[in-house]
Amino acid sequence: MLPPRLAMPVLDGKGSPVMKRWERMAAAFLLFIGVGGATLAYQLGFGTLHHPGPGFFPFWLSLILAFVSFIHILTQLGPDSKPVSLWSKEILIRPVTAAAVMFLYALSMDWIGFFSSTFLLFLAWLIVVEREKRLTIGLISILGTLSLYVIFSVFLKVPLPKGALF
Amino acid sequence: MDSLAALWNGFSLAVTPVNLLFGVIGATLGTAVGVLPGLGPAATISLLLPLSYALGNPVTSIIMLAGIYYGAMYGGSTTSILLNIPGEAASVVTCIDGYQMARKGRAGAALGMAAIGSFIAGTAGVIGLTFVAPPLSAFALKFGPAEYFSLTTLGLMLATYLSGQSVLKGIIMAVLGLLLATVGMDPVTGNLRYTFGLLILEDGFDFLTLGMGLFGVGEIFSTLEGKVKAELVTRKISHLWPTLKDWAVSKWSILRGSGVGFLVGLLPGGGAVIASLLSYAVEKRVSREPEKFGQGALEGVAGPESANNAAASASFIPMLTLGIPGNPAIAMIFAALLIQGVTPGPLLIKDHPQLFWAVIASMYIGNVLLLVLNLPLVGVWVQMLKVPYSILAPFIVIICSIGVYSMKNDVSDVLMMVIFGVVGYVLRKLRFELGPLLLAFVLGRILERSLRQALLISRGDISIFITKPISAFLLGIVALMILSSVIWALYNRFKTKPSAPGKTA
Repeated sequence: MLPPRLAMPVLDGKGSPVMKRWERMAAAFLLFIGVGGATLAYQLGFGTLHHPGPGFFPFWLSLILAFVSFIHILTQLGPDSKPVSLWSKEILIRPVTAAAVMFLYALSMDWIGFFSSTFLLFLAWLIVVEREKRLTIGLISILGTLSLYVIFSVFLKVPLPKGALF
Repeated sequence: MDSLAALWNGFSLAVTPVNLLFGVIGATLGTAVGVLPGLGPAATISLLLPLSYALGNPVTSIIMLAGIYYGAMYGGSTTSILLNIPGEAASVVTCIDGYQMARKGRAGAALGMAAIGSFIAGTAGVIGLTFVAPPLSAFALKFGPAEYFSLTTLGLMLATYLSGQSVLKGIIMAVLGLLLATVGMDPVTGNLRYTFGLLILEDGFDFLTLGMGLFGVGEIFSTLEGKVKAELVTRKISHLWPTLKDWAVSKWSILRGSGVGFLVGLLPGGGAVIASLLSYAVEKRVSREPEKFGQGALEGVAGPESANNAAASASFIPMLTLGIPGNPAIAMIFAALLIQGVTPGPLLIKDHPQLFWAVIASMYIGNVLLLVLNLPLVGVWVQMLKVPYSILAPFIVIICSIGVYSMKNDVSDVLMMVIFGVVGYVLRKLRFELGPLLLAFVLGRILERSLRQALLISRGDISIFITKPISAFLLGIVALMILSSVIWALYNRFKTKPSAPGKTA
């Protein structure tokens, strides 16, 4: 089951805090996006107040983003009271593996088709991400793929990629 | 009386076999989603958007999606009470006293009161919706581009103000969402913006891809970070129907919860989560025995569960009458209406009266259905809690992929969804609220169009936003909110006491 904090966005602040260093880095990245966005928007054409150009709205948005991000950096100055682990190997291993499996799934879908790629996704997910028992892996992969194929392709007639295999 | 006659017509449409069937499907799915932790109503609605499109009939699809939303509010309490884990964010506070009641052998009473309170409040919310929406819609017809710009700005400001701990981070997310909405072709001049020569970006980001990535896939990545073993406190549920004593204790909590929930639900960004938290605070404040809270007080379950359902119904009002969705789940329903060619806003009641009233009628029916689903079938939902998330996760991932792929039959959309999933995961880790981003993305085009139209009408005179009374009033509220945030931040900074309370209190 899930850690409770994942389902309680409003109470998030009561969980582990984000280190000021990470806050500053995130805000600096967003400041960069703001400045870059404003530059690109200005190049698109600002227009006039009477006839705003395509860059008018994104220009002001980017400036606001840059300004607010800068203020956020200022509010996060100073040392952290205690270090908080956000990106350790133990924390990231499963989400990163899952993201990699999903990328491969998306890339292989057109190539080997929905049926085969979905079967492989089940296998990879249950073996690498979840480390389930062999029987569970086999049963869920076969039954899961078949049921999803029948529901979406046969009953709902969703045009799923055929690919080279099936 | 006009409303009642129109509602009667709505009922005649809502009780057709097809609409009734999809209403039941929506309510059942919603309850399931509410019961299962990790998959919120926003993600589920986004998952079913392609199906709603395939249904072809906007009335049927919106009835189903609305059922998912308010069904999730009902279902969330089951997990909170039996597992001490909120099945849905709006049921967070139900964990506090609901779980304690279950540990003391009163799980049945807690579940029963949660369901009955939800029914009463949900129905009260729909009654409010029936009578508040038409006059509000008529009033909104007076709105021009300047008023719309100010209203949308206020909606976004409220969403950022109420959604999390940091207003600054909320504003950053909202502005980022607005910027994402500008990617692609400029609707006025046809120029390409921020596409970097990539064909995939020329049509802009798809709402579905963004929503599923941030809320569906991102949520899965987050849940993979840790494994918390949670044990069902009981598997046998009995005595669901409240006793007379339970009624006596809870009746005012339900009424207060309904009122608080309805008012909070009207606000953009308010929604069910804030409503339930506020209701809990109110119940504790007015209680003669506040020390009972946290030990298994029935009022601590009845009030918040009523509030979140009333808020769920009320949050349809700004979306249907003003075209301003207040929270991510409602934003998904907003997108579903747009996909079906229906634009929510003041003209909805006039242009699509059948859809408007049929959806409201279906909500009355849905509340009855949910009471039936939640009380006698509670055993089924308890069984469902035994399905491990490790098995559920790949199914969710694949269904998300099918949903995104089926929109344009393009694998690159699936890749984009995964990228947004990673972005959502990282933003969550850094405690950036995703709600304002999604709302801003939905409202981005409306905001830009209103701004440009208003400037065109005023011949470039920006005072149009403060010379029009309604617009000036709305922007005045925005200014007050910004000012109060700044003063609050400065007060906290210079205060000698280190433990500053959250700004949402």
